[in-house]
Amino acid sequence: MSGRVEALTALIASARGERKQSLESREAEEVLNVALALTVELAVSNDRIDRLERLVAELRGEPVEELRDIRYEGDVARERSEATDALLTRALRILLDPRAQAAE
Amino acid sequence: MKVRDVQHAVLPQVTAEERSRQEAVVALRRLLNARVRSGNVAAFEAEARPAFVAAHGRAPQSPDEVQQAFLMSPHYRRWSAANRAAQEMIWVSVGEPIYRDLDRMERATAELIDAPGKLGSLALDPDYDPSPEVAAVDIHLQPGGYAMDRGGHDVVAGALYECGGNVFSFGQGIGRGDSKAGVVIRLLEEAFGGFVPGKLLDIGCSAGAASAAYAAHWPDTEVHAVDLGAAMLRYAHARAESLGVGVHFHQMDASAMGFADESFDLVVSHNLMHEIGEAKRRAMFRESLRLVRPGGIVIHQDVAIRNQPTIVHQVERDWDTHFNGEVHWNTYATADLAADMRAAGFAPESIVEHDLAALQGFANNRWYAISARKPAA
Repeated sequence: MSGRVEALTALIASARGERKQSLESREAEEVLNVALALTVELAVSNDRIDRLERLVAELRGEPVEELRDIRYEGDVARERSEATDALLTRALRILLDPRAQAAE
Repeated sequence: MKVRDVQHAVLPQVTAEERSRQEAVVALRRLLNARVRSGNVAAFEAEARPAFVAAHGRAPQSPDEVQQAFLMSPHYRRWSAANRAAQEMIWVSVGEPIYRDLDRMERATAELIDAPGKLGSLALDPDYDPSPEVAAVDIHLQPGGYAMDRGGHDVVAGALYECGGNVFSFGQGIGRGDSKAGVVIRLLEEAFGGFVPGKLLDIGCSAGAASAAYAAHWPDTEVHAVDLGAAMLRYAHARAESLGVGVHFHQMDASAMGFADESFDLVVSHNLMHEIGEAKRRAMFRESLRLVRPGGIVIHQDVAIRNQPTIVHQVERDWDTHFNGEVHWNTYATADLAADMRAAGFAPESIVEHDLAALQGFANNRWYAISARKPAA
């Protein structure tokens, strides 16, 4: 097989036995698993960004620290700030949700 | 010879992204071990014991009660849940490249196994039904377990074992330069006058890393290795051939091996005792004595989880039994192995238990070993 999803599916399907949980809530433990997996994926992305920064710095003939320290002002700064706000709004949407907890 | 992180033809060819993912899992596990697990015993005193006393009116006494108390500690539960998740991520991080690259790996295996003039050999036994106490369990959550065999030139079990073992070990702080075979070779130099075997048996060889290391270290030694899984042994054999060392691999049960009496000068096992139950371990000890020649040496090496200072430390260390598929972890940790060696027939005065420093890694990384020498005829 050569596809990544196919490979992952074969691996996941081969696991046997019961999965013993540690937290009191199965749902909480599953969310923790998703969060940790996303943390690892973030590390993978950071690794890729770091590699690109170093390559671009090399092409520009300057230290990578200088490339990373480029500051933006005016419209570009506002655009970047708005992008950060939007990311946080997406990530923390549940904290902003106006709906009350439904009764059981 | 390096043992961990060795490059050879049967390893999956990982992409940069897959390598980053494995390194991230190593880092996650290192953090969990060094910064979170290290607080478990303190959390027992601060959270677990008071919660148990509040519920039962007395302190926990038995290992089962200490385990119940640990699960009342939010700190322990959070670490346990995260550690289980991290262990499962080991297998995702190494399993994806293995299954993705499997066609090429199986072709490489076929070429190496079927090559004329190869250095070692592979003897699979189609009539052998791998012992269910090992084969039926996903030990340390390795998907499919040690004996999974998909037929043909399948090597998944061996590749998972080697690649997952590296990610696990580096996350434990075990150095890339550490080697269980190297630790035994050092023990032979320091405690057995630099004993060099003419013929060596490695019981429970799994992916064959130690077997290949012995063959590389002692090129004139005839190295034999036994395991229960066909795909594990296929991988081990192809791995050794790719590295240019000759090892003779056999599919056999550790409790009943088909070699003639007194066939070997040195009989070793690495991390086998904690993977098998009491009866099989005792039978394996008897087989070790039967198979070693008079004057020969037996060394069984394993993880250094024995002799914990308190019952709380012992139960904390026993997490693997409950959450990591290491069903014999506690049996091994609490067994009187010297008594078992005596019962197997080894001379009491020859039996020595060793607390061995790792060759490389964190300063507190240790290995356990028990050795004995068969009296010369």
